[in-house]
Amino acid sequence: MNLRAGPVATAMKLGLTLLYGLPLFWIVLTSFKQSSDVFAPSKSLVFSPTTRAYTQSLDAALLESLKQSVLIATGATALVLAIGVPAAYALARTRHWSVTLGLVGLIVLQMMPQTSQVIPLFGLFGNWGLLDSLLGVIIADAALLTPFATLLLRPFFRSVPMSLEESGALDGAGMLRTFWSIVLPIARNGMLTVGSITFLLAWGEFLYAVRFFLSPGGYPLSALLSQQVSAFGVDWPGLMALAVLTSIPILIIFSATYRLLRDGLTVGAVK
Amino acid sequence: MFGWHNSRRYLAFLLPGAVFMAIFGVFPLVQLVWMSLHDVTQSTLNAATWDFVGLHNFVRGFTDGESAVAVLRTLVVVAVVTLGGMVLGFAAAVALRTRGRWSGILLAVMVFVWALPPVVNGSVWKFLLADDGLINTVLATAGAPGPVPFLYDPTWALVSVASVGAIAVVPFNALVFRAALMAISPDTFEAAAIDGASKRQEIRHIMIPATRPTAAVLLVLTVVYGFRSFDFIYVMTSGGPGTSTATLPFLGYLQAFQQYDYGLGSATSFLAVIGVFVLAAIYARTIRREEA
Repeated sequence: MNLRAGPVATAMKLGLTLLYGLPLFWIVLTSFKQSSDVFAPSKSLVFSPTTRAYTQSLDAALLESLKQSVLIATGATALVLAIGVPAAYALARTRHWSVTLGLVGLIVLQMMPQTSQVIPLFGLFGNWGLLDSLLGVIIADAALLTPFATLLLRPFFRSVPMSLEESGALDGAGMLRTFWSIVLPIARNGMLTVGSITFLLAWGEFLYAVRFFLSPGGYPLSALLSQQVSAFGVDWPGLMALAVLTSIPILIIFSATYRLLRDGLTVGAVK
Repeated sequence: MFGWHNSRRYLAFLLPGAVFMAIFGVFPLVQLVWMSLHDVTQSTLNAATWDFVGLHNFVRGFTDGESAVAVLRTLVVVAVVTLGGMVLGFAAAVALRTRGRWSGILLAVMVFVWALPPVVNGSVWKFLLADDGLINTVLATAGAPGPVPFLYDPTWALVSVASVGAIAVVPFNALVFRAALMAISPDTFEAAAIDGASKRQEIRHIMIPATRPTAAVLLVLTVVYGFRSFDFIYVMTSGGPGTSTATLPFLGYLQAFQQYDYGLGSATSFLAVIGVFVLAAIYARTIRREEA
């Protein structure tokens, strides 16, 4: 098999490197500039680096946002896994009519534009006392991500051999016990993959946070960033520093789970 | 003896998720339909009852509002995202099959960009596409007469947000195509090499046919992704200039949360929901055909 890159493949790779690598490089570069250097062509690459953008944005409000981001993403991921894992297992194991209904429902909900949920949820959360609360945003995020997570988890449970469960049953283990001590350990990689992606998506979610928190005091980092970038007279170094700070946790999770993401992400999409 | 495997007892596992999604996923959609048939404003949002107006909100959306032109904008975004996402995704998967460290690192960088929050990617592209941003600076150096109004001209702005959407979806599509390419037996390529097939012929006669089933499913997913576009529009243009980048879902958002006309916003969003039902039906059919 000829796997050496020809001129076309090399050109393609060069183009992709520019398209994906350059923006990353540019965020980090800009975050170390002074505002006056940002748009000066002579100082595109050569400038005196300053950490002012970081020291200025690192205040108590930012730490509060960071805390909100961690709480929201962790809470939403825990909730999604708590209800999505058993649901995916059930959907993988039965041929009941409700399974077809469930799958169709999940596919439709996964495809729904977030805006068609945020309008009714805003009114409903107002009635239910869930506005301006961490719990409200966690619930909304979980409702947004559960369909996707469940559909991605299902193939992982389908690949757990039925015979293992049957031998568990022979040994007298009940259904819950079989699920907990035989099925879950085998499907661990699947849960880790889906848990990581759910966390990444919940970390980046900003629309529910912007709408359901009534003041910026409760905003997570993503919501803070979304408000600063749409404001007039953007302070670009400050914004890019905020973007870098928002992305660091993503980088950590990504580095730890890249292989899982690379190989596991495509399972639900095609099978 | 193992009858319980197919019994309804599994459904107990389904119950928590089903209840949760019924309350926080399905019920809001019912509420959306209900709101679209009523006059709902900021002051009456949490009132006990609303005035029933029938289909008035929908009619208003098309006569005074911009529902029709928003549908058109949505189609433009879907077309750009789908074309860019599918073609570049496949091309990237083919190019990244090549051996070497560069391919591995590039794939990781692309997946990392995909994993970044959309607000981060949107912010960066807004910065790069600004009048005195990097891209216009490069164009000026190359002799362009003036800055390209990437985000200020109505047509350019729509193409810009759609292109960033395409760039954002390419890594995922490349991963899916990559998985499909890796499933092709090496023997097939060896046989082709013995017959003296060129790279172009390999792509045309081996890779494209082998990935066609995957591409069919991925196509629907990419259309859906383009259709749902919200984050990049919010961050890069806020639907502007004017409302020239307000696609159907975004227009509904603006009507609800900027004009405080929740009834009208619900009606517009419901049109988007109908679009989703159509796409979901196509998706279900495609999956069934590929699995059969």
